[in-house]
Amino acid sequence: MDKGLLSYILIPLLSAIIIPFAARNRPRLADLLANATLVAGLANLAWLALRPSVISGGFADIPGDGLSLLLVATVYLVALCVTFFSAWFVKEGMPNRQAYYSLILVSVAAMCGVITTSDFFTLYVFVEVLAVTSFALITTDESAGGIEGALKYFFLTFPASALIIAGIAVLMITLGSLSYENLHIFMSSDIPSGPITFGVALMLLGFVIKSGVVPFHTWTPDAYQGAYAPVSAYLAGIVTKISGVYAIIRIATLMRFFDGRAQALSGILMFLGMLSIAVGALAALRQKDLKRMLAFSSISQLGYIVLAAGLGTPLAIMGAIFHLFNHATFKTVLFLNSASIEKSSGTTDMDKLGGLEHSMPWTSWTSIVALLSTAGVPPLSGFWSKLLIILALWESGLKVYAILALLFSIVTLAYFMMMQKKVFFGKKTPASENSPEVSAPLLAPAVLMSALIVALGLLFPYFFSYVRMVAERIIL
Amino acid sequence: MIYHTLLFALAVVFAAWAVMSRSLLISAMMLALVSVCVSLIFFNFGAPVAAVFELSVCAGLITVLFIGAVSLIRTDEEAHPENRVRFYALPLAGAIFAIAAWFYLPGFFNELSSWARIGRGGGDIGLELWDMRRPDLLGQLAMLAAGVFVVKSVFPRRAKGK
Repeated sequence: MDKGLLSYILIPLLSAIIIPFAARNRPRLADLLANATLVAGLANLAWLALRPSVISGGFADIPGDGLSLLLVATVYLVALCVTFFSAWFVKEGMPNRQAYYSLILVSVAAMCGVITTSDFFTLYVFVEVLAVTSFALITTDESAGGIEGALKYFFLTFPASALIIAGIAVLMITLGSLSYENLHIFMSSDIPSGPITFGVALMLLGFVIKSGVVPFHTWTPDAYQGAYAPVSAYLAGIVTKISGVYAIIRIATLMRFFDGRAQALSGILMFLGMLSIAVGALAALRQKDLKRMLAFSSISQLGYIVLAAGLGTPLAIMGAIFHLFNHATFKTVLFLNSASIEKSSGTTDMDKLGGLEHSMPWTSWTSIVALLSTAGVPPLSGFWSKLLIILALWESGLKVYAILALLFSIVTLAYFMMMQKKVFFGKKTPASENSPEVSAPLLAPAVLMSALIVALGLLFPYFFSYVRMVAERIIL
Repeated sequence: MIYHTLLFALAVVFAAWAVMSRSLLISAMMLALVSVCVSLIFFNFGAPVAAVFELSVCAGLITVLFIGAVSLIRTDEEAHPENRVRFYALPLAGAIFAIAAWFYLPGFFNELSSWARIGRGGGDIGLELWDMRRPDLLGQLAMLAAGVFVVKSVFPRRAKGK
């Protein structure tokens, strides 16, 4: 475990335990404590990574492998957006307000545990903590949709946990250790890796299910659509990415996919990634509910990350890491905006919405920035990550995959344009007539993330040097 | 030998309690205690890795999942109690099991002890847990906190729903 980042697990855990006691008689104190914990964490992370001396030194002073720091920062950023949004979104009389924030902070601690560990069993323990907290968070408002989503989440992800623990057992028997380092050393040698690859394949299958990759995606749209609105942003933005996709990227680098040591696994992962891109994008075209469409879009975008992780070359890993980060930013904006629309107009049915651009201009503009970035339009951040992935595929001779990835990027733009036309442009519908713009605090997280999307696109050379440093450290 | 037999007997008692209890919450806790006893047996027979994983997964994670699931169950289900006639045969089954254990367990434990001598001897279980799997303890702590907050999150809604 990366001890330099241990405080990012301990402090939210401590805050989660303090909140129910401190905020027993003053529920609003729970909002304040949760937000203060996350702001303090982000400020500390910014000091660690964004000091001028660190940037001018090519990020050589970054502790650990650099990936942990980037992902911990992403977790804190998305969690802060969600808790800040929730502070104004959650109803005053909600009986479980303190537990809601405590669960978010425990899940932040669990995600940081997943990211900083270097042992498969510890990874499993933290992934399970994340599953338990996600299950409770999905049912926060106890709507029928939320309970259905949570049950589907439960029935699909807990068998996935069984597969992961079976894989860990096989790895323990064959490798005699569960540390990442030992697997990396073994895969760097010439010893036949058959039984170990089998154990890792079982684990990968579990993580693929937890990620919601096609054909194991059925829980994702129901969970995202039915979940409490800010929780959808939290789940889609970061939780499912850390509980599944992160482990896939980590295993791809440990198994040295790029030198062909586990070619079959690499090939299957790439195929599933491509399938997710295609199925997610085509299904998103047919959706009428905004949140459901965003859920399918999320499946499609995580397909890009899995495709790149399956390829496993340094350039592909750079693309996967960058797209993971980008996905967290643009999907948080889109889901928080869908929550704002739901709060303002009372529905997320796109057939009932229309003409919101005049009454909700900020929500409309931040949606445009996020959707253009998702579709990979330059110079926004999503363009660069997709470019890296497509270039990596082309360089490796996988031209069909590269062309398909490019084509489905155009499909992404098509379904988002349809969404924008239905929801924000055109004539006002009865549901949109009395839909004012939400308050400034509810807009703030979406505006912040949109600014980040633009800034990352424009300052890409700096970010590229960071991501390249990460890829070099985790692969070599 | 007495230590092993005692642990084994305790595991059986907790297991029977888990089956017989009318409260699902108590059943879940008894199941966790069964895992703790099994974990101590594993540890004492020189299998610290199995012991630590049994403690982490079965006594920790699974118990929290059970408690979380139990907290979601509606209380009105208690209005239709289950038929417990079949449980009256349990003392008889217990007696048969005890007689069989009297004959077979000593030999079984002797064999396990000889295998344990071949394996490495363990130190203190707390030390072993701390040395081998320290980050897992943090995960367990997070899991316990998650379990408590799941219950705290669900019960107030239930109370409000009534």
